[in-house]
Amino acid sequence: MQLPVIGNRDGCASPYGGASRPGMTRRSFLRRGAAVTGGLAALAAAMSPLRDLDGDDLPSFQKLLQKHYKEMSPEEMEAALDRIRKEVEKRYQVRPDIRDFKPMDGVEFVYALNLTRCIGCRRCVYACVEENNQSRDPEIQYIRVLEMPRGSIDIEDGDHHYERSTVPDEHHYYMPVQCHQCANPPCVKVCPVEATWQEADGITVIDYDWCIGCRYCEAACPYWARRFNFTKPKLPKDDLNPTMAYLSNRPREKGVVEKCHFCLHRTRQGKLPACLEVCPTGARKFGNVLDPKSEVAEILRTKRVFVLKAEVGTLPRFFYYFDERDPIDEHVVPSQAAQAVGVAS
Amino acid sequence: MTDATPSTSSSTRPRSILARFESLWIGPGFAVLAVIMFFGSQYFKTPSAPAPMIDKSALTRGAFRKGADQPMANIGGFMQRCNDCHQLFTSEMDQTRPLAQHGHIHLEHGINNNCANCHAREDREKLILRGGVEIAFSETPRLCQQCHGPVYADWLRGTHGKTMGSWQTGSPDQVRLRCTECHDPHAPAYKPMAPLPSPNTLRMGWQGPIVEHGAERNPLRRWLAPEVHETGAPAQHGTHKGDPETPAGRQEGEH
Repeated sequence: MQLPVIGNRDGCASPYGGASRPGMTRRSFLRRGAAVTGGLAALAAAMSPLRDLDGDDLPSFQKLLQKHYKEMSPEEMEAALDRIRKEVEKRYQVRPDIRDFKPMDGVEFVYALNLTRCIGCRRCVYACVEENNQSRDPEIQYIRVLEMPRGSIDIEDGDHHYERSTVPDEHHYYMPVQCHQCANPPCVKVCPVEATWQEADGITVIDYDWCIGCRYCEAACPYWARRFNFTKPKLPKDDLNPTMAYLSNRPREKGVVEKCHFCLHRTRQGKLPACLEVCPTGARKFGNVLDPKSEVAEILRTKRVFVLKAEVGTLPRFFYYFDERDPIDEHVVPSQAAQAVGVAS
Repeated sequence: MTDATPSTSSSTRPRSILARFESLWIGPGFAVLAVIMFFGSQYFKTPSAPAPMIDKSALTRGAFRKGADQPMANIGGFMQRCNDCHQLFTSEMDQTRPLAQHGHIHLEHGINNNCANCHAREDREKLILRGGVEIAFSETPRLCQQCHGPVYADWLRGTHGKTMGSWQTGSPDQVRLRCTECHDPHAPAYKPMAPLPSPNTLRMGWQGPIVEHGAERNPLRRWLAPEVHETGAPAQHGTHKGDPETPAGRQEGEH
């Protein structure tokens, strides 16, 4: 049996080996030696970030072999939850209460935010961070409170970096923006791996174990609602919220996208989202729009409601509304005002 | 034979300049790359800043303030029930003299400037409606709705005020907070409050103080912020932190 011959021992010509071997000089040896040494050094340097690799960062086989959320059987989901439980316990020394909450029947969640009442105090932003185990360093926040100049509804005029001693400022109004849970979500359309999808109750969720971190969804979102974990999220052990769900606030890894999910680990149990519960002015309203007696259904019926960027056709489930100002204006003395219009008070 | 003489082989098939000096640039090139990669990893880090420490008490969920179901007064460091004193000492509810007790109460309730409009004269642990009906402190909405009808209607429907516990209509957990759990009945308008810190998100583009692009074309600005019109400069109401020339202080001084 004849083996294929590699090289040029039989005198076969080749531009490299054939030329060099007979003519190997001290100079060419040194040059090639330098190239090989440099190449090896570069390889080693390129691998140097591995020095910082934490063994815990490597995905386990179980995670690599895990199926897509929608394809997992109940037993497989239980195994996945168990794996996450162990991982969280190892990383944070806290035993999490993690479950997989399914959408409730006959429920479609809708959020309504009263722009007349919002004062821009940013309590919702931090309640959300506390509830949903976002990274504290680098800082990740789902809610962005825009300070809008009065007279403009163009969100390009908004500023979310405002710093004031007190809010509200009389020349501005405040418009918090978070995931709008669109009925026609562009983020879902662009995902190449179906790691994000819309659930029956209207919440667009992310399977953090399936996300490949391409950030297409982040680019597709017209509301800047999605956040990317550029680095390994840092979260103090004491700040970990141990009540979590697979699709919501379980700790994320580096390289995955996350966003507001209407606190589904709370709302799918009948509770209210954290941002609503902390709001000092009652500007936030949440509920089941399919229930005609719910607060949000009432708001959609009776208030002056609008959605942000209606022209892009995303059909948000997040509505802004105004209501009448309290008719008593402190600058107006009723008796004087009545006199001015010729009415006896 | 060309096979036996490599020199002629290279001359018959001319190689590019790059390939000819391959052994000259590959080695140093890799070495430079190695230096950049090795030390670069220290410098090319994702820019990030830790979240600021915030006062956790600001994140208390639920009622904004404590409504008084059972009114108590702090008299000399002791919490007393109203009638403990008021059944012993009679006192007129008289607006013409300053309050001898309850000095912390500053009445800023618009034209509603008489204690007896809401408080019952006889039983100080009760509130009083217009018709003379005495009600408990826990029933404040009945009292407030006498003047604030539209807001009360909104509150009944759940479109004003805050609902806690559950979004499920009819759930026993669902609690609609009452008027005094958000509003101070003596000064019901919300006071301005300090906002929590602004986000550390990377801010692209202009790093200086924020200039509202809408300033010039804002239809309200000419009347709402006269200083803009006078100076001709865009008002810098929103300023980035770290900007020393923030006009915020000046703004507040004027009020």
